Amino acid sequence: MSPKREIAFTLNGVPTRASVSPELSALALIREVLGLTGTKLGCGEGECGACTILVDGRSVNSCLMFALDCEGRSLVTIEGLAADPLGARIEQAFVEAGAVQCGFCTPGMVVQAHNLLTAHPHPTREQIRRGIEGNLCRCTGYFKIVEAIERAAGAQE
Amino acid sequence: MAEIERVLAPASLDEAAEALAAGEATLLAGGTDLMPASHAGKVRFAPMLINLRRIAELSGIAVEDGELRIGTLVTIAELLGDEAVRERCPILAEAADHFASPQIRNAATIGGNLCNASPAGDMLVPLLAAGARVELASKPDGTLVRRVLPLEEFLVGPGRTRRRPDELLATVRVPAAAPDAIWRFFKSGTRPALDISAVSIGLLARKAGNALHEVRIALGAVAPTVVRARAAEATLEGRVLNPETMEAAACAARDEVHPISDVRASAWYRKELIHNMLRRMLSDVAET
Amino acid sequence: MQIIARETLIGKRIAKLDAPEKASGKTRYIHDLDLPGQLYGKILRSGRVHAKILRIDTSKAKALPGVHAVITAADVPWQRPIGVARDHLPLKTDRVRSPRDEIAAVAAQSEEIAQAALRLIEVEYEDLPVLTDPLDALAPDAPLIHPEPHGADGGTEHLKPGAPVAYSGRPDNLAMTFDYEQGDVARGEADSDLVVEDTFRLHYVTHCCMGVSGIIAEFDSSGNLTMYSNTQVPFLHKREFAEILGMDPARIRIIQPPIGGGFGSKLDIYPFEPICVFLARATGRPVKLVFSREEEFLASPTRQPVILKLRSGCRRDGTLTFRAVETIHDNGAYTSWGATTPFVMMQTVSSLYRVPHCSYHTKAVYTNNPYAGSFRGYGNLQATFAVESHMDRMADALGIDPLEFRLKNAQDPGEVTPQGMQFKTCGLKECLKSAAELGDYQAKRRAYAALQAEPGRFKRGVGLASMLHVGGGAKIYPSDGCGTILKMDDFGAVTLITGASEIGQGSETVLAQLVCEELGLPLSAVRVVNNDTEITPWDVGVHASRTTFIGGNSAIGAARKARAKILDAAAKQTGLPAQALDLRAGQIVEERSGNPLLSLAKLIRSLHFSDKAELVMTTHYYEPPSHHQDRQFKGDVSAAYAWASQVVEVEVDTETGAVRLLKVSGAHDVGRVLNRLGIEGQIEGGIVMGQGYALTEELIVEQGRIRNPAFRDYKLVTAPEIPEIAVRFVETLDGEGPQGAKGVGEAPAICIAAATANAIENATGVRILALPFTPEKVYRALREER
Repeated sequence: MSPKREIAFTLNGVPTRASVSPELSALALIREVLGLTGTKLGCGEGECGACTILVDGRSVNSCLMFALDCEGRSLVTIEGLAADPLGARIEQAFVEAGAVQCGFCTPGMVVQAHNLLTAHPHPTREQIRRGIEGNLCRCTGYFKIVEAIERAAGAQE
Repeated sequence: MAEIERVLAPASLDEAAEALAAGEATLLAGGTDLMPASHAGKVRFAPMLINLRRIAELSGIAVEDGELRIGTLVTIAELLGDEAVRERCPILAEAADHFASPQIRNAATIGGNLCNASPAGDMLVPLLAAGARVELASKPDGTLVRRVLPLEEFLVGPGRTRRRPDELLATVRVPAAAPDAIWRFFKSGTRPALDISAVSIGLLARKAGNALHEVRIALGAVAPTVVRARAAEATLEGRVLNPETMEAAACAARDEVHPISDVRASAWYRKELIHNMLRRMLSDVAET
Repeated sequence: MQIIARETLIGKRIAKLDAPEKASGKTRYIHDLDLPGQLYGKILRSGRVHAKILRIDTSKAKALPGVHAVITAADVPWQRPIGVARDHLPLKTDRVRSPRDEIAAVAAQSEEIAQAALRLIEVEYEDLPVLTDPLDALAPDAPLIHPEPHGADGGTEHLKPGAPVAYSGRPDNLAMTFDYEQGDVARGEADSDLVVEDTFRLHYVTHCCMGVSGIIAEFDSSGNLTMYSNTQVPFLHKREFAEILGMDPARIRIIQPPIGGGFGSKLDIYPFEPICVFLARATGRPVKLVFSREEEFLASPTRQPVILKLRSGCRRDGTLTFRAVETIHDNGAYTSWGATTPFVMMQTVSSLYRVPHCSYHTKAVYTNNPYAGSFRGYGNLQATFAVESHMDRMADALGIDPLEFRLKNAQDPGEVTPQGMQFKTCGLKECLKSAAELGDYQAKRRAYAALQAEPGRFKRGVGLASMLHVGGGAKIYPSDGCGTILKMDDFGAVTLITGASEIGQGSETVLAQLVCEELGLPLSAVRVVNNDTEITPWDVGVHASRTTFIGGNSAIGAARKARAKILDAAAKQTGLPAQALDLRAGQIVEERSGNPLLSLAKLIRSLHFSDKAELVMTTHYYEPPSHHQDRQFKGDVSAAYAWASQVVEVEVDTETGAVRLLKVSGAHDVGRVLNRLGIEGQIEGGIVMGQGYALTEELIVEQGRIRNPAFRDYKLVTAPEIPEIAVRFVETLDGEGPQGAKGVGEAPAICIAAATANAIENATGVRILALPFTPEKVYRALREER
């Protein structure tokens, strides 16, 4: 590992500093350096979406992001979403709709749903399905996840 | 893993070019290709890592001299949501919609996709069909210079381009589609996106009556780089679309490519798809 | 006073108890756990398909700062073979039989250092001839995969008590054989007016649990071993680990953190688990070993690939006469549960429909390919694909509607099949009719068939398939039971301590519901403890769709004992007979009127703080009334059987071969719906897993090597690809089932591939005998037909 660098950013609303090596991913920063384990490592290649976080309000795969690129940005992880009204609604909808089975994909799905509903507060079913096309789930077949996102959208009125 | 000794986050193109002139560097834009490639040991980091993301002048989409000027840092999501792109280069917006996933579209940049030069690169096919050029910037002797290359010349092979180590891709220039332009984009697979195409096809032409002019056909994942289907273009140029000309073009495209067989598709199937889908695109165009 | 009516949770839509933690990211999976002082384990794999190990040099790796241990087989001469046939040493001694084979392992202070140490290990190999076709492996002069005893050159076996290695090699490449006969197939064939024969080819797929495999192992100062493990079978593993490690099972404790997906992948011991224990023993520190996603693809079990030759016959009137099956199971280099899938496959062959004469023969053959474990459906997707493809072929040849043909041969309640299965409840005919109606099967099939020859790019088709699967456990061990401990606190809340593991399927919620039903409590009054062998009573494990049925009956048993105790005490206090009382909403009520008499919490406290001072604590062990099969594979192996029929509608793009699943209409005999939300989730997820098996997923294995170990090229179904679905539940109220329910975990995945094959045939007139139906395969088949 190369020499570390100090970076400063906002994590779930809290100004945060960390010392990271340049090769480190944002996911490893969040999980290993800062100890927030709600964001999951599913593949490390941006193919499964389990590591989805919001960076400056947009969802990205934290496994593909360089930690040092967090400098000056605002990061929100699943742990930070509960404090957000939309995030809390989505989590509640996932519980009520039965969208959670093993739960490993769930944090990434919830964060991605947040990204989707921020951009499209009243998405069509097709938009929802496309909106989570980068998030793999092996348990649910996605039906109840789509339903949960519809439910969260409906609860916004 | 090679050590990264320095990390730079220049605020201007000038600064970045100056840093590049000083020595070998790894360029970071969206990171979506660089990160997994570095983990898999497929790239070696240079001693200097330059994060381009803070350079405002490399962001944004502008229209100048009838051309779209797309900054290298423009993300795929930004392309997808941009009114000017939809109007002036709809084939690019369409291809952006088939690009990876929402999360990757939010991070991946057009410049990164071009410099990565994958034979299946999703932005390469529409840009080649659209006749795009790339603008490269460098600072060889203290002054910033730019050179412009047609995309076709820029792409050399898988992962290889004509970008010199001291250069960076600054802008992608795309001529606006003519008012009588027709376009089609096809990407094989069973998913709308999140798929590495076994074959992709971009078609752009001007249509007068039922005849096509200035036909440009780009093919992805059938050669070491994205390629033009010149023989097929020639069979179509100036001709009226009818079952015979469409079949002739489809056959010409199929016969002029020499794809490989891999886990995604056999060479035979790739050629069949080129034939069937080009014919399908042409017949869709003929009907409208 | 407020009258309290009897309320039930059964059949309601109940949110999973663990969902809030999971949805907020608070659940800690094995990947999220770290123990103080923990080291990180990594495994060096051979990368060779078949080779002799000539030399291993670990000295450079050992010298790397931060490395605590580097071990090879020579360091653990007492290691014992694992797996179903005990033919697999965790660390390889003298030869490697597949690229995933474990050569050495490192424990280091970080993952990066462990990884770096692996690169410093030098291994010299001599390549051996490679066997990747099971038919070649059967040739008399084929090279042998397991020629000589393992551990022959280990040499230091005196280091460990009782160490002789159990497995002694094989003179041929046959890992296992299965032979089943009923009736007289020759006579059946002579009785037939129509005989069809095909060879079906079923491919490799793998579980792709979103949470990769992992384990943490730790020894305490007395030599007791604690494993934090994702296993689906903690109690069986306790015993097996004891055997492998030469330990007293009483010194092994298994704690199961929440599991990021199981689907059968965690039913066997795989080398990484004992290797992690070896490292923990070598270092005296807790060691955590977690796979990368690539490793998960390369070194996890697969679904069993099968070459299946099926011969089926029937009379002109549509009565089935016989079925004869011969399969070759590519066993890969080692034997796990995949080799034993014939147990289930032969049930479908013999008993899904009434067939008087049957034969079933399997050879599981060693090769240098990946090896298969158990995977949701356990051979039944493969068998059903063949059997249900043939049902359509025969119906078409006879000119009978395939639904009518199936109904004519379908099982009825009360049937005892020649294999010995007793169908006390059987909803097959209702499932067939329901699914056909939901999917408008008959009308659409006729309409689509008429359009086959018409021009047009897109063709549509419908296909029907049914399935039979165990729904009341499966007695593959001498016991198929589950234990429960139930205790109530002074405030009327229940702790349900069960052997049944939660793997995401929602078992803890269903078990809590069943307890609430007996004790008249709200769900919030129940806590479930289900993940620590030191605390929970024995259970055989999460497999065979058994948890709701077996764990549920066990929980009900414990709850009923508690209920009896409470009502007895209440009878004494109220002066009313116990049978006149009921438990509702945390109150003792008069059963007929619903008048509340006494709060439950108060009653319990009065029992506790009295002269006699007793607590309400009960235990129950439920053993289902099923039977271990005899050596001829006959016997009533499950306490209940689940049935389902599914109609699949597809659209085929004839210009690309792409098949789109438009709609799945399913009817499932589930006995009874307990948690509607949960059962829908199981069925929906199973359907999409079946869709992946049918259409998109394939682990591509060429010359023993996996070519697509990443989600990039191993294509799970994504959200935009899912079909419309319609599901109807057929409630046959099984007499033995908990509240009438049957197991349903595996059922929904089983029919999809078969029904899709039939739908593609209906759309295009082309029958494809090999999976998956990828665009290229379908396109090629369409071209060959033209």
